[in-house]
Amino acid sequence: MPRFSAWLRDGVGFDILLVGAALLFLVALAGAPLVYNVLMSFQQVDMFTLGSLIRPFVGFDNYVAVVRQPEFWLVTRNTLIFVFGSMSGQFVLGFALALFFAQNFPGASTIRGLFLVSWVMPGLVVGGIWSLILAGDYGVLNVILRSLGIIQSNIFWKSDPSFSIWAVIIANIWLGLAFNMLLLSVGLAAIPKDLYEAAELDGANAFQRFWTITLPMMRPTIGAVLSLGLIGTLQQFDLFPALTEGGPANTSNVAGFWSWQLSFQLYDFAKGATVSVMMFLLVLFASVIYVRSTRHEVRG
Amino acid sequence: MQFTKLGLLAGLAFGALVAATPAQAQVTLKVWSIDGVDRPGIADTYSKEFDDANEDIVVEYRAIPFDEIVNETLRAFATGNAPDIVSFDNPDFALFSSRGAMLDITDRVANSEIISQADYFEGPLNSVTWDGKLYGLPKYTDTIGIFYNKDLFAKAGLSEPPKTWTEVADYAEKLTDPASNVYGITFSARAGEEGTFQFLPIIQMSGGGADKVNTEGAAQVLDIWKSLIDNGYASRDVLSLGQWDSTGVFNSGNAAMAISGPWEIDRMVEDAQFDWGVALLPTITEADQKSSALGGFNWGIMANTQHPDEAFRLLEYFVDQEDRIFPEFGNLPARGDIELPVTGEAKKDAALVVFQEQLQYAQPRGPHPEWQKISKAIYDAEQQALTGQMSSMDALNQAQATIDTIFGN
Repeated sequence: MPRFSAWLRDGVGFDILLVGAALLFLVALAGAPLVYNVLMSFQQVDMFTLGSLIRPFVGFDNYVAVVRQPEFWLVTRNTLIFVFGSMSGQFVLGFALALFFAQNFPGASTIRGLFLVSWVMPGLVVGGIWSLILAGDYGVLNVILRSLGIIQSNIFWKSDPSFSIWAVIIANIWLGLAFNMLLLSVGLAAIPKDLYEAAELDGANAFQRFWTITLPMMRPTIGAVLSLGLIGTLQQFDLFPALTEGGPANTSNVAGFWSWQLSFQLYDFAKGATVSVMMFLLVLFASVIYVRSTRHEVRG
Repeated sequence: MQFTKLGLLAGLAFGALVAATPAQAQVTLKVWSIDGVDRPGIADTYSKEFDDANEDIVVEYRAIPFDEIVNETLRAFATGNAPDIVSFDNPDFALFSSRGAMLDITDRVANSEIISQADYFEGPLNSVTWDGKLYGLPKYTDTIGIFYNKDLFAKAGLSEPPKTWTEVADYAEKLTDPASNVYGITFSARAGEEGTFQFLPIIQMSGGGADKVNTEGAAQVLDIWKSLIDNGYASRDVLSLGQWDSTGVFNSGNAAMAISGPWEIDRMVEDAQFDWGVALLPTITEADQKSSALGGFNWGIMANTQHPDEAFRLLEYFVDQEDRIFPEFGNLPARGDIELPVTGEAKKDAALVVFQEQLQYAQPRGPHPEWQKISKAIYDAEQQALTGQMSSMDALNQAQATIDTIFGN
């Protein structure tokens, strides 16, 4: 018995105990719902059998039905535009801001801190505010663009099929900007300053320093920011009900919102689950690429 | 020995305590509705009154926002925590009654001294009926008509409200005044139930219905609506505005006509700084049949209630107080036998007469257990046509294909 307690206290047992607790937690809170969700996508589900595990098995019927929906390809296209648009906007602007605030000027860190306000705000509130800004007739953005002479007539951001998805992207970029900037700032701060000094002595200009020092040193951070960005963008939900409800005619509908709509507006839980499994595969694919790309990294 | 004595004493004392509480066991009824979220409404007020007046029944009222009540009830029903009485928007009701989630109250209503089935308007009553049985009762009803700004009409040389959609387009052109930010008309064609609510009447007046949406007339009116937007007689934002926001534009004088319902009247009386009136929803040609949307909520007792008798008593109380719902809460009773009192507010009283006439033409959405899917097919088609992604007829044909699979044709 003392040997057992010693094994538990300082031996491998302690490690197993810790890992086991975490694993149990993961399986219970993330694994089980995931498995249930995948299971549901192969079953015939209606609202009154929601609570039970045993339901008629329908094979790939739900998948076929989802792909056959008239809006499927439109939603797929929108999801890709939304993910790439939001991510590149958040990343490029976030990186630019992080570099800007990494310069030592008075008040740099205070102003950087203020940017976090956007990150603290709930998505629904952000959506509500942008809904007013982007309003077609009386929205602030149109007034500004018009007075600058950029546009002649109002753009109906939320109601024009060619702009609706961009209305959500603009709001999402604003929402995710602070988070990107924060992570990238931390990465920038971790680069030793003497590298830059040495490069400068060797006569490297600002662009060369950025290209040969900053970017390579930031690689793990950038990888993390991008993969977190992908996940965050795919799970973005609040902005859609607040801005466009996926309309007009699904032109701003993306997979995440569609999955919710199928489940909780049309009560077609099986199809909702199916769409979310498809999204899960996309995230899995992206994570595999991320993990592979960082595998050969030399860690110090 | 000592122990037994003590036990006996304790037992006696306990017995005395039990005897001291009222002999009648208290019954708890859970009531869920959307009232009371932002302002006092029918369900929260009446629940409290009934709770106060009845010693033997405790009423626990819970206010749930409009968008969440169906979901919340679904989840609660699936896990066995459903409320005893709940209220749903009328097209959502069939989802529950068709699947046995609501209590069949046909016999109880037949035996009731307070409730009479014959008093109700046909449309609202249809929405609580499934398979010939009564699963609930209408709580209140509403419908839509066309509000018009009489001052702007006079300025444009118009005196009468439009009777057909062609006239609407004609008038809208005359009324539109971009210089003073005035649109000819505003309505709601949003991607949601409100979009269907305003468009389904068009389908119905063209001879169609929820099961047949690709009619010539509906396509024709969609083309007219599209021209209103394309010509700038209506804001493109009608595609994302709800009815309340859309009518707000009318109230501020920025639109000369608005499609909406009686729930707007109180705010309009307060906000609108001009003379206004309301008319029946325009038809396709003057000879066409009239139609209008049927809105409003229903009451129902959930099938797994432990106290059906008490729940029905509470339902009777709700029905008994229906003559108060217009003066106190501004909702229209779904019954023909209740005389609505004159409010003394001329525009409001005039509007009310129109809406009561309009109610005779109001047709329910559904009832169908898969109403939400039908509704999405309809508002998607509407939006596809209005944004020019498809021709009106093609969009309606596509919706018809979806609807055919739901109706199993």
